[in-house]
Amino acid sequence: MSDFAEAAVALSPQNSPGWLGELQQQGRNEWQVTPLPTRKTEAWKYTSLHPLSSGDFLRWAPAKNKFTDVNRLRPFYAIEGLDAARLVFINGHFNAALSSSDFAEGLEVLRFAEADEAQRQVIQESLGSIADRSEHPFAALNDSWIEEGLFIRVAANTRIDKPLHVIYLTTEQAEAFSVQQRLFVELESGAELSLIEHFASTEEAQNSFTNALTELRLQANARLHHYRLQLEEEQALHIGGVHVDLQRDALYDGFHLGLGGRLKRIDVVVNHNGSGAHCDLNGVYLPRHEQHIDYHTCIEHRVPHCTTEENFRGIIGERARAVFNGRIHIHKDAQKTNAQLNNRNLLTSREAEIDTKPELEIYADDVQCAHGATIAQLEEKSLYYLQSRGIARREAEVMLSFGFINELINRVNEPALQDYLRPILSELFVEDAR
Amino acid sequence: MAETQIDERLKSDYEAGFVTDIESETLPPGLNQEVIEFISNKKNEPDWLLEWRLRAYEQWREMQEPQWAHVHYPKVDFDALSYYSAPKGVGEGPKSLDEVDPELLRTYEKLGIPLHEQEVLAGVAVDAVFDSVSVTTTFREKLHEAGVIFCPISEAVHEYPELIKTYLGSVVPQRDNFYAALNSAVFSDGSFVYIPKGVRCPMELSTYFRINEAKTGQFERTLIIADEGSYVSYLEGCTAPMRDENQLHAAVVELVALKDAEIKYSTVQNWYPGDSEGKGGIYNFVTKRGVCHDNAKISWTQVETGSAVTWKYPSVVLRGDNSTGEFYSVALTNNYQQADTGTKMIHMGKNTSSTIVSKGISAGKSQNAYRGLVRMGPNAENARNYTQCDSMLIGDACGAHTFPYIESKNPSAVVEHEASTSKVSEDQLYLCRQRGLDPEKAVSLIVNGFCKEVFRELPMEFAVEAGKLLEVSLEGSVG
Repeated sequence: MSDFAEAAVALSPQNSPGWLGELQQQGRNEWQVTPLPTRKTEAWKYTSLHPLSSGDFLRWAPAKNKFTDVNRLRPFYAIEGLDAARLVFINGHFNAALSSSDFAEGLEVLRFAEADEAQRQVIQESLGSIADRSEHPFAALNDSWIEEGLFIRVAANTRIDKPLHVIYLTTEQAEAFSVQQRLFVELESGAELSLIEHFASTEEAQNSFTNALTELRLQANARLHHYRLQLEEEQALHIGGVHVDLQRDALYDGFHLGLGGRLKRIDVVVNHNGSGAHCDLNGVYLPRHEQHIDYHTCIEHRVPHCTTEENFRGIIGERARAVFNGRIHIHKDAQKTNAQLNNRNLLTSREAEIDTKPELEIYADDVQCAHGATIAQLEEKSLYYLQSRGIARREAEVMLSFGFINELINRVNEPALQDYLRPILSELFVEDAR
Repeated sequence: MAETQIDERLKSDYEAGFVTDIESETLPPGLNQEVIEFISNKKNEPDWLLEWRLRAYEQWREMQEPQWAHVHYPKVDFDALSYYSAPKGVGEGPKSLDEVDPELLRTYEKLGIPLHEQEVLAGVAVDAVFDSVSVTTTFREKLHEAGVIFCPISEAVHEYPELIKTYLGSVVPQRDNFYAALNSAVFSDGSFVYIPKGVRCPMELSTYFRINEAKTGQFERTLIIADEGSYVSYLEGCTAPMRDENQLHAAVVELVALKDAEIKYSTVQNWYPGDSEGKGGIYNFVTKRGVCHDNAKISWTQVETGSAVTWKYPSVVLRGDNSTGEFYSVALTNNYQQADTGTKMIHMGKNTSSTIVSKGISAGKSQNAYRGLVRMGPNAENARNYTQCDSMLIGDACGAHTFPYIESKNPSAVVEHEASTSKVSEDQLYLCRQRGLDPEKAVSLIVNGFCKEVFRELPMEFAVEAGKLLEVSLEGSVG
């Protein structure tokens, strides 16, 4: 694996704007001093980086797309009925033809490549200010690879009505390749935005490795509805990080959906840095076949009077394996914290595996914290109930599985997004039941 | 309320902290092959056991101290420890009670341990281990009638070599972990229990461990075998003198519950926890594990109030079908104590079930962590686990943590885990005080209620002692 570590850092960005050089260097330095996680690294105990070890992925996809008609790509990511501003990246390269160019007033969308001197200053100061690269080696690698990326800012006290749909699409290439994704969102005080981060692929066997890093800063009273859909095909490797900074009375409403794959790992880190902040974090993972998926969430309560409610659910089928680690860390000064975490899992096959670890680390006394985790299969009684009403067992299983997940889908604020997700999911369960 | 009074109570002395002035034979510090040979020689051990020890030593030398626990302490200098210490005159094996040094007997009297068979609190057979050797075992005759073997392990090596050969290291292999390997190399004494087929042990068995000598480590080894259909309840207690330096206690306990057998193992651990500045105290790095065969049951109950650092995970391997594992724990930390304790339930057989109830109480500047593993193997059809971990924080300088690892490979297995953390609520305190209880009584009442589920699992004598211990360790730490 150390071969990968060396080769990865040697893969420099192809057309990097020079002004990001310093960040790249910092990332490289950190990556080089941090040993690559192994199964002995606590945070990677259940997830092996082996699929990366060949180093096959260490090249960029050409910027020119072989699709002459890019419109052909639309069906792979379009969400019917969703009235949204759209930004599309194909294999890590921005595609202007598919992206919106007009944005609502107060919404500033800036590509790193287009930034002027003053904007560069802001971007430089922002990038890496939330993600702790010493804790997250792939965040360090992301810094070292930085090139293309988005900086999004919503002006103070502005509510952006239309969601922002950011699409990261991978298409098949002759050779395996890496995709670098980077996003920084700043909501100024009192701003509100719905953000959909959508990872998708076009091919059956997608030979890509996505290294994704999103940083979200919510100033006082800001509200962000964040939907991160990781729907890439199962061969695609994906290591992603979402790092959130919550200032006073800010609200982060996150929904994470992940399908499994050879290697899928997502770290979600929410920092309560201002009192009165609230975090609602929901997630669903649905690995099947021989897939693997790993969600690591960490909620850092650093200040008093913050609240967290976290719900993750998973259905693990066939020979798949899911890993969930939900850490809640209450720092010494975070009195009057209320934090709840719930993780529920359904194992639907004899060969499936789930490894879950809800963690509480508490250094303040006047807090209310609880977590719960369950692992079970569909309840025989519920199945019987449906069967006694003339529903075939297979169908009953699909209904119950779907219902289990649907509770969380119902918490998604965008009706169009709900409508988009439901058929995708029920299709999965129907397929499983066959 | 009277802050000073509370402070005084908090500073209340460790009652078992005295030193017994007794002449000892103690090995100079350091660990090497000769030391192991000396220990083995001292006990007249057969060659196979010496070889077994030396193998463990070889393996230990290649191993690393575990770093993953949520505890921080100055590293143990394994060359500064003495690996053998015995009160003079006892080293050559246990004697009848009359021959035991009266100073020793007084020690146990002071601790309230009934070594005299005629004394009250009867119905408990005691094996007393002083530093490295077993001092005396009571009620041996009576137990013998029932066919129960209860003796120091050093004696069992000679008298029941087949049993020892078969079971020693069968549950905790030599290279299981760093401290288990160390123990396997240098263990000096401990208790051995064998309950024959179908016998219900007529009385509670008990071992009392006492560290007396300075700069020594205590490495005892306990082996309990419950043959088919038998039952035994075993109690364990520990104390040590107050000293400024840290002392190491690295024990290994192995339980074997054969078909239909049941073992109930209760511990009240009250090693010296160090002073209020965090100076001194025992490092308690213990490996405890039991194996359940078909329909067997192993139940661990522990009350952990002592030790500067605790690193302890009594576990059950549910190998047989329909077997049951239980873990009930109260862990209390105060001042600068650190505890990282919990259990492992390894479900291998069908219809196995396990229950984990853990109550952590942290006060002062202490850190208290529950760390547990529940693993459902691929063949654990219809296995069931229920885990409940509650933590209570007293004061804003302490920490309470929960690290449960849950792994399942069987869809028919059901695992439930819940954990909560809270403090003694103002409302509860108010209610008690309104009814005329002083604050300390009120807290004691609330904490006792918080631990009730665990205390009721303890044998009666222990439950009383445990309740008292909590009171001493806790009273007044809330204001």
